[in-house]
Amino acid sequence: MKHNFIDRYADLDSPLHQLDARTKLVGFTALIISVLAIRPGSTFVFFAFFFLTAIFMGISQVPLGYILGRSLVLLPFVLLASLARPWRGGIDFAFLSALIMRSVLSLIILVLLTNTTRFAEMMRGLRKLGCPQILTLNLGFLYRYVFVLTEEVLRMRQARDCRSVGRAPAKVELKILGSMLGTLLVRSFERAERLYQAMLSRGYSGDFPVYGSRHFGWRDLVFIVALVPFVLIAFRA
Amino acid sequence: MTEYAVRITRLSYSYPDGVRALEAVDLDVRVGERVAIVGPSGAGKSTLLLHLNGVLSGSGMVRIMGQALEGSDLREVRKHVGLVFQDPHDQLFCPTVFDDVAFGPLSLGVPQGEVSQRVDRALHEVGLDLSMRLRSSHHLSLGECKRVAIATVLAMEPEILALDEPSSNLDPRNRRHLIEVIGNLPVTLLLATHDLEMVLALCSRAVVMDRGRVWADGETRRLFSDRKLMEEHGLEVPLSLRTAVVG
Ligand SMILES: Nc1ncnc2c1ncn2[C@@H]1O[C@H](COP(=O)(O)OP(=O)(O)OP(=O)(O)O)[C@@H](O)[C@H]1O
Ligand SMILES: [Mg+2]
Repeated sequence: MKHNFIDRYADLDSPLHQLDARTKLVGFTALIISVLAIRPGSTFVFFAFFFLTAIFMGISQVPLGYILGRSLVLLPFVLLASLARPWRGGIDFAFLSALIMRSVLSLIILVLLTNTTRFAEMMRGLRKLGCPQILTLNLGFLYRYVFVLTEEVLRMRQARDCRSVGRAPAKVELKILGSMLGTLLVRSFERAERLYQAMLSRGYSGDFPVYGSRHFGWRDLVFIVALVPFVLIAFRA
Repeated sequence: MTEYAVRITRLSYSYPDGVRALEAVDLDVRVGERVAIVGPSGAGKSTLLLHLNGVLSGSGMVRIMGQALEGSDLREVRKHVGLVFQDPHDQLFCPTVFDDVAFGPLSLGVPQGEVSQRVDRALHEVGLDLSMRLRSSHHLSLGECKRVAIATVLAMEPEILALDEPSSNLDPRNRRHLIEVIGNLPVTLLLATHDLEMVLALCSRAVVMDRGRVWADGETRRLFSDRKLMEEHGLEVPLSLRTAVVG
């Protein structure tokens, strides 16, 4: 069983993949902030950003269907959240369309970021940008073990399904669920302990060693410079 | 230079839930010796290995290269022992294979240039392609995981290698390859396994454990041909020895 729902295409080797993680982190974050700054009604600017992301999608070699699928999945939630805005007299179409475009753009950019950067490199980039080690370390473990845990849940469910005939009454089902959750908690706890022991036995002394990887190169410069006009028009418009 | 790589005297251990896993175990292993630990499931093999670098500590004495395993020297002593856990998922905690294999050498303060060489060598030794370096551990098959786990320890170049079920989940070719590689390493070896043919190929000495105790300790072929001993402890005379007797 393999799970790679976050970064399925991060192992490709396109020009975007080859950029330094820091470049992409800074660049894409800047883009998202700019997208949020675009005023409703400035259709031209939105158009420019869609154009830019389209170019990125082309360069990245990540399948178009995948990116759009991932981005649109979250759209219903965004629309639901927009209901929180007090509607004063009728539906404000300019606002609504801006909202949709902003969220789609941001999601596309996020999907692009996570699918052109390996998680490990992203963590390394975050750390080099000054993010505290404790945070990147925990995110790293989460990424590493969320899959192991999911598998454990699936296996436990399979084991239960293999042994039970038909559906049990809801009350019994709930009871089983409770004990499964308990087991999972204990297992994770013990695994964490063993993990720490494995780190200790390989010489861990409080500092997670990092092996240097990609460097800031001319591609990174080109990328950043290319983004500047877009950030500017987003804030000017 | 000390004569004994590992000296275990009267080691007893109970798990927190009260299971008595080791009972007064004595085991001395000379430098360069290759010793197998065999016995049925639940015999305490893994528990014993976990004592070799202080992951667990019971009552009694464990000495590694002449140094007791305790207190402030623990970190130093650990450098001598490379322990491969039974479950590879416990051993691989880094995002990529490369990071995992490099973790040990980097922690030991090996310079970066050499680390990369060591990683390549270790991966090669366990028969993994170098293109594996950037894969994520959770995308690997169990057999691949196991081999990466072994590589993480080989890259540290320890003097004592403690392997818990190294051949489980390996296909025959990779198992063969692993046996060859381990056989050529100039290390002291402790091997806990159910793979008796592997033991015959690698270890001249074997220890039979059962219910937390050591029941026999001696020349591998002699012990393994002893049908009564083997069957008493949930083992069986390996096929290769049986045919040898018949023929
Ligand atoms: N974390 C634990 N907590 C409680 N008891 C444990 C724990 N781990 C092992 N035991 C118990 O300790 C005993 C020895 O276990 P150990 O894992 O050392 O056996 P083993 O010889 O390695 O078996 P196998 O060949 O199946 O790996 C068993 O009875 C087991 O149930
Ligand atoms: Mg075991």
